Amino acid sequence: MTGKFNLFFRVLKKRPDFMLGYIIVFLIIIIAIFAPLFAPFDPIKSDAKNYLKAPQWPYLMGTDATGMDVFSRVLYAPRVDLAIALLGTLLSAVLGVILGAIAGFYDGSGKVAGFGSAFIMRSADVVQAFPVFVFAIAVVAVLGQSIQSLVMAIAFVNAPIYLRLMRSQCLSIRRMRYVEAAYLAGTSDIKIILAHVIPNSIAPLLAQLSVNIGWAILLTSALSFIGAGVEAPTPEWGSMISMGFQNIVTGHWWPSIFPGLALAVTVLGFALVGSSIEILADPVRTRKLLLS
Amino acid sequence: MKRLYLFLGKRLIFVIPQLFGITLVSFLFLQLIPGDPAVLMAGPFATPSVLENLRAELGLDKSLFEQFLIYISNVLRGDLGNSWQTTRPVAEDLLQRFPATLELIVLSLLLALAIGIPLGRAGARLKKGVTRRTADYYGLFAGALPDFWLGLVFIYIFYTVLTIVPAPLGRIDFFIIPPPSVTGSLLIDSIIDLNFAAFKNAVGHLILPVVTLGLINAGPILKMTQATMERMLDEDFSKYGALCGLPEKVIARKAFRNSLPSVITIVSVLFGFLIGGAVLVEIVFSWGGAGQYAVNGVLNADFNPVLGFVLVSAVFSLVIYLIVDLLYFYIDPRTT
Amino acid sequence: MKIDDLTRRTFLNKSIAMSSMALVPNLMSQAALAGGHAGTMVIAAPATPQSLDCEYDVSLGTFEAVAALYDGLVEFEKMPDASVPTAQREDTAYYADKVGGVNMKGKLAESWELQPDAKRIVFKLREGVMSNWGNELTAEDVKWTWDRKFGLAAIGGFYTKVSGLSRPEDVRVEGKYTISFNLDNPNPLILKIHPNLYNPIYDSTKCKEVATDDDPWAKGFIENDSAGFGPYRLESMARGQQAVFAAREDYWQGKPAIDRIIFKEVPTSASRVQLLQGGAVDIAQYLQPLEIKGLKGVPNVAVETVPASFMIWIELNAKMAPFDNVDIRRAMNYAFPMEDVMSSVYQGLASPLDGCMPNIYPGFIGGSPYSYDPAKAKELLAKAGFSDGFESTLSYNAGDPVQEPIAILYQSALREIGVNLNLEKVPAGSFYNAVSQREKAMIFYVDSPWCPDPGYSMTLYFDSESFVNYSNYVNSEVDGLLKIAAETADEGVRLDAMGKAQEIVMDEAPWTFVAYPNYTMARNSNLNGWTYYTSNNIRFQDFDKS
Repeated sequence: MTGKFNLFFRVLKKRPDFMLGYIIVFLIIIIAIFAPLFAPFDPIKSDAKNYLKAPQWPYLMGTDATGMDVFSRVLYAPRVDLAIALLGTLLSAVLGVILGAIAGFYDGSGKVAGFGSAFIMRSADVVQAFPVFVFAIAVVAVLGQSIQSLVMAIAFVNAPIYLRLMRSQCLSIRRMRYVEAAYLAGTSDIKIILAHVIPNSIAPLLAQLSVNIGWAILLTSALSFIGAGVEAPTPEWGSMISMGFQNIVTGHWWPSIFPGLALAVTVLGFALVGSSIEILADPVRTRKLLLS
Repeated sequence: MKRLYLFLGKRLIFVIPQLFGITLVSFLFLQLIPGDPAVLMAGPFATPSVLENLRAELGLDKSLFEQFLIYISNVLRGDLGNSWQTTRPVAEDLLQRFPATLELIVLSLLLALAIGIPLGRAGARLKKGVTRRTADYYGLFAGALPDFWLGLVFIYIFYTVLTIVPAPLGRIDFFIIPPPSVTGSLLIDSIIDLNFAAFKNAVGHLILPVVTLGLINAGPILKMTQATMERMLDEDFSKYGALCGLPEKVIARKAFRNSLPSVITIVSVLFGFLIGGAVLVEIVFSWGGAGQYAVNGVLNADFNPVLGFVLVSAVFSLVIYLIVDLLYFYIDPRTT
Repeated sequence: MKIDDLTRRTFLNKSIAMSSMALVPNLMSQAALAGGHAGTMVIAAPATPQSLDCEYDVSLGTFEAVAALYDGLVEFEKMPDASVPTAQREDTAYYADKVGGVNMKGKLAESWELQPDAKRIVFKLREGVMSNWGNELTAEDVKWTWDRKFGLAAIGGFYTKVSGLSRPEDVRVEGKYTISFNLDNPNPLILKIHPNLYNPIYDSTKCKEVATDDDPWAKGFIENDSAGFGPYRLESMARGQQAVFAAREDYWQGKPAIDRIIFKEVPTSASRVQLLQGGAVDIAQYLQPLEIKGLKGVPNVAVETVPASFMIWIELNAKMAPFDNVDIRRAMNYAFPMEDVMSSVYQGLASPLDGCMPNIYPGFIGGSPYSYDPAKAKELLAKAGFSDGFESTLSYNAGDPVQEPIAILYQSALREIGVNLNLEKVPAGSFYNAVSQREKAMIFYVDSPWCPDPGYSMTLYFDSESFVNYSNYVNSEVDGLLKIAAETADEGVRLDAMGKAQEIVMDEAPWTFVAYPNYTMARNSNLNGWTYYTSNNIRFQDFDKS
């Protein structure tokens, strides 16, 4: 175990940008959990007398059109964004992994299983042929505007990615000798999948997960920006950008710009973490990096 | 040649059922969205009898299955139904809006390629130094920035503060007489029409959205180019070339050529994504594109635009993927 | 040194105008064509007309189009606005000594005779009035118009009912230029309904020419073109972009002052503001309060605000608990942060809604019992048995920029008294649907009853049978009073009944009363002749350029 940690820190030393990524993610999680301690104002309390105030003390990032403090809202937003992104991504991963394992394992085999596999793949094709935003908005429209439906939208949109990842992993792994051996020994299919296929696919999955979380946060913000996301006045970066949209042209830039910055930094953090996991998961690349 | 035809044939056979499947799924899915089109169309003065008449006219009183068949038969005749919001046939609306989106996407991807490929190549060849760092960070940053936010930042800087670009209200200023529509692309049409005022104006309006989308989409292209080229440069053939004393430039060129399939793949994926994914930038710049049209359709339970858009963009994506596969065929003789 | 925000913005905005001019070399001449040229007026509007058929369409662009393309039988006399002398408005007051109690001027009708029992009115049409297709106005046209309303029974159906007509035969051609409306029962609106924007007269000769068996009422034609007796004809229409109207040489009142109207679709209000400041358009419609404020002081722009017939309120669904309890509804009004909304959202460009009908109409009784009093609100909640508060949902229109901030302010204020609101954003296109289905607990509504009559207004929203009574308000006493006002032409009796009705309604608070938003005209300062109409649209024929 210590060996793994050692490796981890050596990689981080080599790549300070990865270190930055981890710090950002860590900070965002802390902010999400302890927002009430950091935020000077109630994020959803409007204060009409102080509307559209430029950044000044005590409004570090200014106030928006209804007088809500932008800084406090930016701090509370990760609770919503992270929760939705994490849940949605995890759900999509679970969904995708299960379906992908079936599709990959039974690809080309006998009647029922083979048909099932092909059906899953064609369905994934259809889902992916849908324009992403239209699909996500349609899911939210059907399920109603709520945090749950955003989670579902993200889950559906991303599931095919994990499905294909898992399937290609399955296809290559099932040809491995040890899988053949297990099969000959009479191990049930499910056991093989659980014991051999999935553990060996964890690494690329993790890397994909991290990048996906960042993308899920972007998608949540995009949906809120269009108006199909969280309900007002829940603090959420995309909906804050949307609410401040009108004000940019009249010169009040702060309600939209600050949330966007926070969003970009967060997604960047997750992307860096994802890159680092990609390298760490592949011993060859890890070695290359450490030796360079 | 025969292989080419076989390949094309095999692919085309799948296209029809795929399109059919997409239409069916979209149709059923959209039915789930709450909202009664007859009430939405009839508006404030709808009495029950008016609503009944309207429903009969729209065919809403028939079973879903019948409605679907009617829809399909209409589509085959080129009739994509009407949008109750614009009161025009969807086909007409899309004909007007799709070129707007396409012009935007094509130009953005060209810019993205112009940024991403050189930086990606440089990043792969150089192991350290400023260029390498730039390439690495650019790839990361570009993927993290929300495109709609970046567009807003640009509007603020270049329009509100610096005032060097025209107002973000569409593709062309309204007091400019637009050229007659030939391809739908304002740039091409104004050249054909020798209408340079329109050309200049259209360019002015295109700058910010194209830069926004181009900068952001350069990221994935850069990353893919860099990663693939790095792998190619690591491959035996590159090492052999170095051993043989080939100049670095030649090795790099060959490595790049071998990375082309991946680059083409990522471009096609981006293109497919952007047809619907450019909607955010379209909204920020009031572009009047197809994505905006479809999104408004979903939000307002106006189904025909959404179905029409999904169909057309699916056709587009399939065409793109077909072209990409053909390109593979051309580039990589190993593909069958 | 603190730079005043407004002056900095104005400076920047002017430089935007300057630089956009610089970007396009021949903008000056184009602008001359657009903004400066006496012969053209350019309007930046939120949307082009969807359909030109007033039987079906109530979208913003359609109002302006119908007003220019068609004339009605009569109209109100004009008078200068009390607060804005450069603006005219309709004289909708009650005049006991005039026919029908109204100060009317003939348009397509030269004269009229109203029977004292208010069951019959005869119009004598002007002779020699030509349509844009060269056909002369006759009583046939009026008959066909009203037959169409009966036949299609959409918006027109509403007008037949409200004017007391029961069947097409009630409208009778009595001579080449004489037409009569005959009612079963006396109806006070018998004359007053005719100046309404949506009672224009069609050129039936042309319509019959283009009608088909499948489309006997020329729907296809009227949707996209016009056949009428108005001052303008439709030169071209590109929906989603612009509509162009051309003045008619042979208009019966003489050619209007402005030759060409370009009605341009500019969806974002911020863009409309920029265009007006830059001199590229003559009128920028439907701007937001902050933007209007920002326009004051810009040299080539005149911004005028007048009290209007608009009202904005929140329907409290009487069929959904706890709004079936009148004390709860009153509490909701005492908890509404009126001052904050007026100052921050409306920037002073609205007045509090202290009545339940437009305050510019005859018969208006003002004096709302409500004010922002959270303590009182809490008291009422406790009285109703909800001392712990309750939870509900407020639905608002995503397309109306004032509604979200009002909702947020209201939500914060209600939290103080223990009421928790969820805010539901409804897309603009389906908003009306949400309102008319009456299944939301609380939902915004903005409306203006066009007919300046207390009976008309009150019946629309508070008659238990009215389809526009979206709050599901039922009060049999009010119904009775409304019936009295509908069935007599005795103005004294009516005013009395409507006064009582208003008092009851205000007391029972079926709505959270929000505001009377003013109507703002933001225009090029060399444009004259603006007239305010209760239908809240402009008529191109009023304007001229100095």
